[in-house]
Amino acid sequence: MSMSEPTQLHLLKPGQKATIIQIGGAIALRRRFIEMGIVKGETILVERHAPLGDPMEYFIKGYHLALRKEEAAHIKVILNGDTNG
Amino acid sequence: MTSTPRTLFRLDYGGKLEREIARMVASFEENKFDTEHYPQRWLAIKLLECDADILERVQAMPNGAQIIELARQGAEKIKSMLGDEVDMITADHRYGYINGVVRQTLHRPNIDRITLTDRIDDVVTHKWFGLPFFFAIMYVMFRLVIDVSAPFLDWTDAVINGPIAHLFSFLLDLVLAPAWLHSLIIDGIVAGVGGVLVFVPGLLILYFFLALLEDSGYMSRAAFVMDRFMRVVGLHGKSFIPMILGFGCAVPAVYATRTIASRRDRILTALLVPLMSCSARLPVYVVFGLAFFGSRAGTVIWAMYALGILIAMLSGMVFTRTLLKPDASSAFVLELPPYRQPSLKSVLIHMWENTREFVRKAGTVIFAASVVMWLLLNLPWGVTNQQDSYFGKVSSAISPAFAPLGFDNWETGGALVTGFIAKEIVVSTMSQIYIGGGNAQPAEPTTFSEDLIGIGQGFIEATIKSGRILLNIIPGVHLIDPQKETENTALSDALRDHFTPLSAVALLVFVLLYVPCIATLGAIKHEFGSSWAVTSAVYQTAVAWIAAFIVYQGGKLLGFG
Repeated sequence: MSMSEPTQLHLLKPGQKATIIQIGGAIALRRRFIEMGIVKGETILVERHAPLGDPMEYFIKGYHLALRKEEAAHIKVILNGDTNG
Repeated sequence: MTSTPRTLFRLDYGGKLEREIARMVASFEENKFDTEHYPQRWLAIKLLECDADILERVQAMPNGAQIIELARQGAEKIKSMLGDEVDMITADHRYGYINGVVRQTLHRPNIDRITLTDRIDDVVTHKWFGLPFFFAIMYVMFRLVIDVSAPFLDWTDAVINGPIAHLFSFLLDLVLAPAWLHSLIIDGIVAGVGGVLVFVPGLLILYFFLALLEDSGYMSRAAFVMDRFMRVVGLHGKSFIPMILGFGCAVPAVYATRTIASRRDRILTALLVPLMSCSARLPVYVVFGLAFFGSRAGTVIWAMYALGILIAMLSGMVFTRTLLKPDASSAFVLELPPYRQPSLKSVLIHMWENTREFVRKAGTVIFAASVVMWLLLNLPWGVTNQQDSYFGKVSSAISPAFAPLGFDNWETGGALVTGFIAKEIVVSTMSQIYIGGGNAQPAEPTTFSEDLIGIGQGFIEATIKSGRILLNIIPGVHLIDPQKETENTALSDALRDHFTPLSAVALLVFVLLYVPCIATLGAIKHEFGSSWAVTSAVYQTAVAWIAAFIVYQGGKLLGFG
């Protein structure tokens, strides 16, 4: 597993797995992320794009979550090396 | 003041944050700040986390402003020391603790197995199949709701105008009620409330399917699939559920906006919901469509639905750029739960709760409105010609406003006024005015037991008919020919005397778009306050007038007049 550059969650492709390193955005949005278990250190898997490209579906903490790219951009991650899901 | 048990579990947030929490708690005493019923430590943490709700409450408390300022400084200090917002730090500690507990207690097989949910999602949220699947579901649902409910709709209508009206008549005769009371109850209340209750079978079926979609877990997939599309109009993926409900009745649809988190999104959705052509408007389209366009009535009806959606989309874009600009709270953070088999009980409860909203409207607003309408039509006392009644006078006064739209006569003005109570009443008012109150078929006297048998027989017949229509929906199965709607010839003739095809279309456009019915406005007021209800009423009436004007005058220019 190679250490990669920090990137934003919405830039990842389906099948990629990453570790969350930082959460940004307005207080209300950040709080919503926290409520949904999107916190530092958590592993998140990109599942798929919606048919129109946005939002995207992720897998975190054992459940499926949909986020718009606009919101996922506030989540900084480090790629866990390429896996196939 | 109150002594809370000290043995409670307390999570350690780490030295630096703990010191700041202690400092906050101490400052409550120093500033003589009474935390009222809030535990001190909890309040200190919430203040440092900048919890919007708590900040607002504390602001209103004595010495609150000072405390908030201290909390702000404390939060700044923590951020500069630890490089993170306080709410992130507390969340870290909480989840850290939770993970620890879970690790010690829960053993999960460590394989990524592909669940049934994953496999279903591979299809229903698929890049190419996702949208067609969504539209197919919607299509099937509407075919079922409209076609399958039709025989039951006729049955309800027959029961209300037959046995129930007879029963009331019988009871009134029994107590020797005067003729005016008889007329008020039978022509006013039974006809008015009954006219609305007729839609209950259709709504029950609509809500049954919506509950199935909701409980199975497909609804959130639909929000996921549709979000990008809804965003063009300035809405949230979840807004589409109330919008779909709007095709049934706008009242439960307005209440259904409660599932949306952001107030801004809720208000915008509620403003657009009444533009979805509700089931109450359908009878108006049907009567005019058959009278003026015969076999092409279906196209006219379809065009009305499409126009409503189009205007809603344009309105969404306008509101998003003016009164309701998007704010940070309109985020789309949505769980896609595993699919589950819906339980019949829960589906039935959902179905009933939504329908109840509609029945309540019929029981209260429509009831009151029916009485008022009857009074307006029958006062001053002893009036014989409807044009001389209060109702006729009001209608004549407003009708010139409709001249540029092609329907400048008091009858139409009056029908539109009554349509404010419930849109389907437009038709019944017209038939009352044009062909007189005696439009009800002279009922042959029946006995009570005959009535009961009739109700049962009718229900069985409706079920059989409905079942055959259901089979007919399956492609390739044709048990029955598409039925020709029976035309109310007397009303059709009267309408053809007063309207041209062009002015009929202008009227339909106006009925589609103008002021939401009083029950819908009531729901909007209940949820968002009077000013939004007024906004909705004024906006839609203005849009309706302009759209009907364009249709009529444009049509004349193009030579359709």
